[in-house]
Amino acid sequence: MTDHEQPPTALPDRPGQWVLLSYRLPREPSTPRITVWRKLKRLGVAQISDGLIALPADARTREQLDWIAEEVTDSGGTATVWIAHPAALAEERKLAQAMADARAAEYEQVRAQAQQARHQPDDERQRTLRRLRAELRRINRRDYFPPPQRRTAETAVAALQPANTGTTPAPEENSA
Amino acid sequence: MKWATRAGIHIDRAACAWLIRRFVDTDAEFVFVADPAEVPADTTPFDMRGAELGHHHGDCSFETILRRYDLTTDAALKRIAAIIHEADLDDERFDAPEAPGLDVVLRGLSMIGDDEHTMTVTKPVFDGLYEYYRRATLLGREPA
Repeated sequence: MTDHEQPPTALPDRPGQWVLLSYRLPREPSTPRITVWRKLKRLGVAQISDGLIALPADARTREQLDWIAEEVTDSGGTATVWIAHPAALAEERKLAQAMADARAAEYEQVRAQAQQARHQPDDERQRTLRRLRAELRRINRRDYFPPPQRRTAETAVAALQPANTGTTPAPEENSA
Repeated sequence: MKWATRAGIHIDRAACAWLIRRFVDTDAEFVFVADPAEVPADTTPFDMRGAELGHHHGDCSFETILRRYDLTTDAALKRIAAIIHEADLDDERFDAPEAPGLDVVLRGLSMIGDDEHTMTVTKPVFDGLYEYYRRATLLGREPA
């Protein structure tokens, strides 16, 4: 969505604010555990240890983790939400790098799929384009430290646009 | 009645405040607090952790309020609820292409004004959306 392409190494000199969720859910039933884990994965959290996850703190991430904490307690578990600074810059870099690597792998999958779809018939390629745009949007939303693979994937997906709708990528290509 | 929610309102809280004032309590007064502990005793909290009118069973607060005040039979409100759900939770439970756009509008608004300003601007926006989906329901197709 946004166009800033800060590599993870461009973090500030001092550790920033992170929001942590510490949670415990009963082993059974397993459905709430799986639901919570899927939601956390969707948010692109960094797993610090079993039952402790982190996201860079902003209004949205704080709220999202608050609601997941509520869901954990609704399901008979316990959860606390914390605002924290990593004590050392290196800790933060490791966390950010792990998150950037996870996103890079996702972008790489999208790029590979776009590459494969290049020679599909027009209608099929159009369907792939729509699907991959949606997938890119999902990844962008959980991408807090955009890796270079982001731009590569966006370019590969934009290249699926049929030639007769314009030779240069439409502006919406970058925002999709 | 007095109602309280967290300060720095976004899509779900703005929509809830509109819903409350239009369908639940026309004289509603709103208090915005930084911490749940600051909610005054005589107010009803919404869209806050621990509140009855919050996120429950995978629903956003707007959906919870619809259920709590028996408003789920209004098709236009149901449609708005689907949009708010997707804008707020983005979990693809509903097909609501309006959601990302509305979410960005609300996020932008929160950057240029306080909560009173956001509420003032969003009131006619939600009134308009409601009218649009009300007509869509009556017509059975997209209104002109």
